[in-house]
Amino acid sequence: MAEPIGAFAARRRPDWEALSQLLNKLDARRLQLPDVEALDRLYRRAAADLARAQRDYAGTDVHRALNALCARAYGRIYRTPRDRGAALRRFYRAELPALVRAERRFVAVSASLLLLGLVVGALAVAGQPRGAETLVPEGVKRSVEAGEMWTDVLLLSPPEEAASRIATNNLAVVAATFAGGLLFGLGTAAALVFNGGLLGAVGLYCARHGMLGRLLVFVSAHGPVELSVIVLAGAAGLMVADALIDPGDLPRGAHLQARGRRGAAIVLGCAPFLGLIGLVEGYVSPAPFVPGWVKVASGAALGVALWGYLLLGGRAREPAR
Amino acid sequence: MDRLDVATPERVALDLPLAGIGTRALAYLVDAAALFATWVVAYFVLSLLVSDVLGFFQDFSGLAKALLVGGVFFTQWVYWTACEVLFGGKTLGKRALRIRVARSDGSPPSVLESAVRNLCRAVDFLPALYFLGLMTALVNGRSQRLGDLLAGTVLVRDGEVTLPRYEPPAPGAAGPPLSPRQADLVRAFLERAPGFDPAARRRLGRRILDRFGARLPEADRTAVAAAVAVAEQPRG
Repeated sequence: MAEPIGAFAARRRPDWEALSQLLNKLDARRLQLPDVEALDRLYRRAAADLARAQRDYAGTDVHRALNALCARAYGRIYRTPRDRGAALRRFYRAELPALVRAERRFVAVSASLLLLGLVVGALAVAGQPRGAETLVPEGVKRSVEAGEMWTDVLLLSPPEEAASRIATNNLAVVAATFAGGLLFGLGTAAALVFNGGLLGAVGLYCARHGMLGRLLVFVSAHGPVELSVIVLAGAAGLMVADALIDPGDLPRGAHLQARGRRGAAIVLGCAPFLGLIGLVEGYVSPAPFVPGWVKVASGAALGVALWGYLLLGGRAREPAR
Repeated sequence: MDRLDVATPERVALDLPLAGIGTRALAYLVDAAALFATWVVAYFVLSLLVSDVLGFFQDFSGLAKALLVGGVFFTQWVYWTACEVLFGGKTLGKRALRIRVARSDGSPPSVLESAVRNLCRAVDFLPALYFLGLMTALVNGRSQRLGDLLAGTVLVRDGEVTLPRYEPPAPGAAGPPLSPRQADLVRAFLERAPGFDPAARRRLGRRILDRFGARLPEADRTAVAAAVAVAEQPRG
């Protein structure tokens, strides 16, 4: 025979109230060392009380209140351990390059989509002079026809403003490219082809007006890294799409989560590179006093450094296969 | 209301209530308002900084200014994840509405999970005003938007149920003690009686007294009797 509910509640109530007080203290970050021990003890007891309430007092307010109390305590007590500094170092030293190498198929597909866009964009402008009407942005067209580089406009705004605008803009492109994988990859593919197409169309349009050299010099400093990060974000998006379309042996949701986690790790790991390259694009690329060959050389060096890191980084730590 | 069942290491099944799309939308609006207010302030401060009308910032190097400007606009991307990771799954709006992000086992999200669900805002927002996210949450049994599905997270209500004052049964009471459901019924009557229509209060109170009168704890019996008596007084 179960204990009458009133007696049970009256007897156990002080412990529940104490636990609730301790949780308030924990939330306010005022928990002392002796409190931790009490928290552990009181939580276990409350969990035992909940088990009992589920059997003897199901559907009563005691049951509901205990469930809420235990849920609150459980959420506070079971957290992931905090070794974030070490985890971050390990991530950049070994995990990120290994991840990119393991998913190189997707990186290759993503890069080819960007290239495809580039070729299609250039062909469209080459074959159809009208193509330029739709593909090349209005502002670019106007300044190219006037014989000046629209990128000179970047000089009119202070570099810090340009740098921050470029960095947030690039982050938006990368986020959209990755998240577009959720639309069965259509969003990702569209973002890659569209960005490639824009570059191809503008490039050929500039070439026709004899300004290709100036464009290439402008792009060379930041372009390699920027496009690489977009390709990597595209690869991550394609991983998500692949998991959606072909989940293999796992349920679709579970496979999606596992693959999405790996994809997101690539995107987030590369986001800092994108922020740094925004600074280059704001300061170095438009600067008239930096000679062209310095821009080309530094851009190539940054690109080689990035891919060298991704392809070779942390290899010594990997077990030989 | 949708619920999430969680088995804890203590071998107890917790039953977490999930937040629906209404609560989620309200929490988003609170967050969006907070971010918008920050940006308005930041815009004025930063335009001061860039043009430097008052000469406050002349000691800053160009790079320092760039990092500051970039940093403020970066908040747009890190606000959600930073809040969710540092405050146990709660942004300002979620705190205001007493909900939190949780993994499917009820624990707070890690950096990666929080980042995934927030990166996917770009798609959930499509084509406008989170239409895709809302539709997904409507169809999904756990009210998850696409970002939640990808990260494996849910939004859990952190509501607190106040425990009513149960009276222990009187030691010498006649008959068996009340069953939990009966005791809960009496508590519910006593808590809600002040809002009842007098006739209904009298009828219900009398039935409770007739049926359980002798078995009620002393304090409860007087309280029910008082509720009936108040209802019987002529209105004057």
